[in-house]
Amino acid sequence: MADRTFWQSMWALTMLAAAALGGLLLLMLIIAYFADLTIVDDASSAAVDYESRSISIVISEEPPQMDSTRATDAVSGMLLGHLMEGLLRYDGEGNLQPGVAESWTVTPEGAVFKLRDDARWSDGEPVTAHDFVFSWRTALAPETASLYAFIMYPVKHAEAINLGDMPSDQLGVVAEDDLTLRVEFERPLAFFDRLVAFTTYYPIREDFYLARDGRYGADAEDLLFNGAFVMTKWVHGAEVALEKNPYYWNKDSIWLERINIPFITPDSNTQLNLFKDGKVAMVQLSPDTLKNAVQNRWPIRRFAEGTVFFIEFNHRPERLTRNLNLRKALYYATDTAELVYRVIKLPGFLPGASLFPTWLRGEHDYLRREYPVPAHPVNVTRAREHLELARQELGLDEFPPLVLLVGDTPTSLKQAEYFQNTFKRHLGLEVRIDAQIFKQRLEKMTLGQFDMVAAGWAPDFDDPLTYGDLFASWNKNNRGYFRSDALDAQVRIAQGSLNQNERMRAFGEIQRILLEEVAIIPNYERGRVFVADPSLEGLIRRTIGPDPDYSRARIRED
Amino acid sequence: MSTANPSELDFSPAPERAPQARLVRPSLSYWQDAWRRLRLNPRAMISLAIVVGLLVFTLVGPMLWRLDPANQDLEQLSIPPGAARTAHIVEPYTAWRREATPGTGLRLASEATTQSVRLVWDAHPSARAFEVFRDIYPPTHPPTQSTQDALGIPLGEISPQDGLAFEDRLALEPITYYYHVVPVGAGNRLLSDARETIEVEVTRAITLEEATQRGLVSTGKKTQVGDEVELAWHPLGTDYLGRDMLARLMYGARVSLFIGIVAPFLYVLLGVAYGSLAGFVGGATDQTLMRFADFVVALPFLLFMILFKVLFGIGPGESGIIPMLIALVILGWPATARLVRGQILQIREESYVSAARLMGSPTGYLIARHMIPNTLGVILVTLTFAIPSAIFTEAFLSFIGMGVAPPTPSWGSMSNEGIKTMLVSPHELILPAIFISVTVLAFNLLGDGLRDALDARMRSVE
Repeated sequence: MADRTFWQSMWALTMLAAAALGGLLLLMLIIAYFADLTIVDDASSAAVDYESRSISIVISEEPPQMDSTRATDAVSGMLLGHLMEGLLRYDGEGNLQPGVAESWTVTPEGAVFKLRDDARWSDGEPVTAHDFVFSWRTALAPETASLYAFIMYPVKHAEAINLGDMPSDQLGVVAEDDLTLRVEFERPLAFFDRLVAFTTYYPIREDFYLARDGRYGADAEDLLFNGAFVMTKWVHGAEVALEKNPYYWNKDSIWLERINIPFITPDSNTQLNLFKDGKVAMVQLSPDTLKNAVQNRWPIRRFAEGTVFFIEFNHRPERLTRNLNLRKALYYATDTAELVYRVIKLPGFLPGASLFPTWLRGEHDYLRREYPVPAHPVNVTRAREHLELARQELGLDEFPPLVLLVGDTPTSLKQAEYFQNTFKRHLGLEVRIDAQIFKQRLEKMTLGQFDMVAAGWAPDFDDPLTYGDLFASWNKNNRGYFRSDALDAQVRIAQGSLNQNERMRAFGEIQRILLEEVAIIPNYERGRVFVADPSLEGLIRRTIGPDPDYSRARIRED
Repeated sequence: MSTANPSELDFSPAPERAPQARLVRPSLSYWQDAWRRLRLNPRAMISLAIVVGLLVFTLVGPMLWRLDPANQDLEQLSIPPGAARTAHIVEPYTAWRREATPGTGLRLASEATTQSVRLVWDAHPSARAFEVFRDIYPPTHPPTQSTQDALGIPLGEISPQDGLAFEDRLALEPITYYYHVVPVGAGNRLLSDARETIEVEVTRAITLEEATQRGLVSTGKKTQVGDEVELAWHPLGTDYLGRDMLARLMYGARVSLFIGIVAPFLYVLLGVAYGSLAGFVGGATDQTLMRFADFVVALPFLLFMILFKVLFGIGPGESGIIPMLIALVILGWPATARLVRGQILQIREESYVSAARLMGSPTGYLIARHMIPNTLGVILVTLTFAIPSAIFTEAFLSFIGMGVAPPTPSWGSMSNEGIKTMLVSPHELILPAIFISVTVLAFNLLGDGLRDALDARMRSVE
């Protein structure tokens, strides 16, 4: 009796499950059918279209705004690189090319840029030297609160103006006439030409900026362009579209007519599926989607993106990490090769050894070849010795948990959990992970609410100084308050000297001091792997400047 | 009845009847009856067995499977259940000095192990550099896009200045790889015609030190380089950091079941007290209390949860379990309170209560004898339905990162981690997902059975 009810009930359950599954399947088919009906299969939704010379791409997030003086994130930098042009620009090989400036002369005391007379804004008006003077002054004005104002500090009086100690018309830049821009330097400088290609140095036209009444950069119609493309559509959170700028002076070198950005998503699996469906022309691969790309037999490409990641310590007096022996213990317990090869598992990443990445050029060769980093073998015994010393110096019986501040991306969380386990296993130290979104992490770094922080630094210009002055005691980005007089002295040499050999020696010294004092634990140099549509040619991936750069891309006719 | 002429028979005594067997059944108490009904319900019984099994899994499991759920086995990352685990003992890793290797063409400089694969090749006249690729498919495997060769993962670019050699250490697995070395000519163009390919069979390797540290080497036996050892056994595989899935599921169950059982227990208790008070006192008190309950129902749970986390000052890396528990209790009780109030209102008007009252029963007796026993069935049923919903809430909150702090696992956070690698190592998502689904289903079916057994009026019709 009981048996029969049992089997009957099991049978009923199975039938119910089967019916539910069948129902779901039917529902899926119906939905798929209607979804197919609503999708308009026009050219703008294809990854590449030769006929209309258009491509579609995906971006990971929406730019917060598009005002070049206030842009900080990579997506804004990438879009602005297509829409605007500075005095100079970088080409695909990383060499400087003329932009709005036709010719230029740089001396240790200043620079003179001769602007071309056919450079135009997207409304047809000429681009003049006054537009640069206006945008540079705007970027430095204290009320703009640009996070990148410091990149203009080489210009005379820039720092004083930015701090509000001087009116902005005192800035050492003048428009001698419409086509001549003269710049005076704060102190002798060897690499100013490499700076002016950067986003913050882009021009802005004064009458347009003022007419927007504080809304400059907020929407597509609140922008004026002088680059290869114009932004024709910006539906916030959903879609961006760029079209070729008919007024661009060098428009003959631009083949593409249209760049559609119909997708904004940070999810790597979604991005991969978009590429698989032929909806976007290029996607970045993550450790999770890499295997999938291999299985799909796509030609995978790699490039060393070059951003350096490291663990930065908090050197404030009240923090345990101020103790050198504790930092050394953590340093000797860290195996960056294991981190890169076993945990991150992405090709193109290089195990970190120094603050200075491998691609930086020195005097004749790569800086890292001229000033090699001593090998750093993992040494747990030594790490424990240093830990014991630190314990005695600090007069502790037991170490309290250390706070490791990290970003909230999957890679940084994975990395944080790896460090948590490594320090626990080798040193018996408790580590608490504090995962925060970028803005909040920056805020906490500024307030010093961390013991260790997983930080990264992307290069802004092509000189080792973009990394070299990071840990100078006056640098605002030195959020752990690392202070070494010897290092400060070397940074001053690197900033002020015009002798390349002397400068590179200073960078070598900075590298040595940072490692000896364990100001940071280098983690890795980031690489990128990506897949691109095989008919897309001329896509530029670069370390410095807007990346990826589609402006010189073209589609091969099949 | 006949009225006339009574017969003789009417005045004689009735014949004595043989004593008949009396039909009696043993008196069944309410609980005995409920248990009997429940036992006859196979679905409920299976669910009950699953629930008991889960409790054993959670409470006894970690005593039998003594593995730290936070321990990372970096030799075995993201391995599926039942993967092979034989490894060779090798020398500790030392940096490669790129000594000359005899032979020509693309060749191996040393034995290929999961520690490293060392490749050397010969110069090419027009090569500016060499790009090294690693593929899991043989070169004959058809590429999907005919215009370009699919060569697998690009590992790196080697300039001839650094020597014609490459060392691969990137996430090596003990399978067969196909390495391609392609010269890069002027203008960064790959010279595909001069491509060289080598098939490399990688063996799993572990250093003696590592093996000893992980307790893989038996102390009695002398183990040396070249010997084989069995790596740690992970019956359900490992996650992306080489942590044992079984241990993590067990510890994850602790968090999930703790929230799932304690929170409903507390809020049902609160709800019963609140509801019976409202129902028994009635009148304006009842109105006020129930309007307050309505107000609590309207509060958004997720917002409350975030506020609680802030209010409690839950710092970095600290578990958000206690605020989650409190938020659940504070926001969960009104449903029970309403139900119990309704029951009490109904029972208060029953004739047996009136009878008891007339006979002078004090309030305490009324509540203890009549009110509570008659609502107990409803309360128990609410409780069993509240458990799965609380488990699901916990899983959901951990999934969006509001729950436990790493490295503590919970089923929800495990699913969140697993979903990122869903396509390449599905077991990391499927296992916790199965546990969540089965647990929630089991508690729901058990609740269903209990309702049938305990409450005749709410019995489902089959």
